[in-house]
Amino acid sequence: MIQLAFSLVVGFALLIILYFFARGGKVSAEGSAQQLREARQTLDSLQFGLLPDDLVHRIFATDDLQYVRRAAPPQVQSLFLSERKDISLAWVRRIRGAIVDLMRFHRGHARLYAQLSLLMELLLALNFARLLMVCRFLEIALYLRGPYAAPGMVRTVAAAAGRVCTISEKSLVFLKTSQIDRLKNDPSHHGASV
Amino acid sequence: MTILTQIVWLGGLFLEGVILVRAIQGKSFSKYSLFYVYIASVLVTSASLWVIYVYIAKPSLNIAVYWPTQYITLALGCGVIFEISRHVFAHRVTLDRLARWSMLAMFGLIFLLAAVHALLLPNWNVASDTADLERDLRVAQALVLMTIIFLTGYYRIEIGKNIRGMILGFGVYVGASVLSLTARLFIGPRFGTAWQIIQSSAYFAALAIWAFALWSYEPEPPSRPPSDPSGGYQTLADQTHQVLDSINDHLNRPAPR
Repeated sequence: MIQLAFSLVVGFALLIILYFFARGGKVSAEGSAQQLREARQTLDSLQFGLLPDDLVHRIFATDDLQYVRRAAPPQVQSLFLSERKDISLAWVRRIRGAIVDLMRFHRGHARLYAQLSLLMELLLALNFARLLMVCRFLEIALYLRGPYAAPGMVRTVAAAAGRVCTISEKSLVFLKTSQIDRLKNDPSHHGASV
Repeated sequence: MTILTQIVWLGGLFLEGVILVRAIQGKSFSKYSLFYVYIASVLVTSASLWVIYVYIAKPSLNIAVYWPTQYITLALGCGVIFEISRHVFAHRVTLDRLARWSMLAMFGLIFLLAAVHALLLPNWNVASDTADLERDLRVAQALVLMTIIFLTGYYRIEIGKNIRGMILGFGVYVGASVLSLTARLFIGPRFGTAWQIIQSSAYFAALAIWAFALWSYEPEPPSRPPSDPSGGYQTLADQTHQVLDSINDHLNRPAPR
């Protein structure tokens, strides 16, 4: 029975994938250049606009909540919680978007190289998938229970995202060997993680 | 044999001939040699079976020829997957190596098991065991094809018209074979006629796709770094590194308590 189910799933899955494969447009070199330009713009915006200091700490800090609970009437408390929820959801969506952009950027570059590290690519793909899933769970948790109900999950997603970024950095090292050499010899770059 | 099956059989022979003639005319035989060898072997096998069926009219001889030749075409069918992988990953050494060794191990193991069964099992039956081998091989081929399609999508690898058609045609045939062979295994001889029609129709569809896609030779798109007018790749990589640092800092800051 398991054999039957497995074979049927494989057969149907192949036909469905083929349908999308046949419908999919041709990937052109011009399209790739365009994609890279877009990735570059996205990364520029990430660098200069999306990462304000102490944002995470501020969004989830309980000081504000305690103050509002002490000093404000129930309507204001309710409005405060609602707005904090919206802000925390916006934060998760932004992180999710950044991870997707990073993933797209990595794939866009990796595909141009003949020699890839399979282990690194597999690790990255798994981490990206896991992180995106955690982001989605976090989004649901924040939506249902608010920003003060899921601090543990926030810590988990932050730590996992940090690991992915470290792995991405390592995988991108091969793109910029000359830059690494320069950084190693430059005393002003102490502590930079390359 | 139904009229439909006979029409599909003859139509298939015609299309196989057309594909081979176009390959010779367009000088693309050597470019996709494994694929064309497979088509040629199927053409020879099908034509022989047709002659036996129509002119000699001995069902026992037909069966005696069908199953052994099935082994050869099944083995050469794996060559089509190698051909696809070789061209799709032509500029990706790591992916090419991975695909080649995985396929060799998977297909080799299936054939080895079939050979062990044939040599050691006392109640080994050429018809049922070859059908089992075909189903296992088709499932393996389906898995490999799905992996190849996934990787081309994941890394946005460009594929030319010829290879795209080869994937699509072979995929349709393999998918239909997996489903019909599985149904035949579990429904039994009652499904025999339906299985024959599905198999031959799917193969005919595959041949039609191949005839269209391989009508003329189109080389695979070359793999080249994209032109980036705003500063080149090194600048982009430097910026990426800076942004990764920023994201890393942002996400690794003290977590809220």
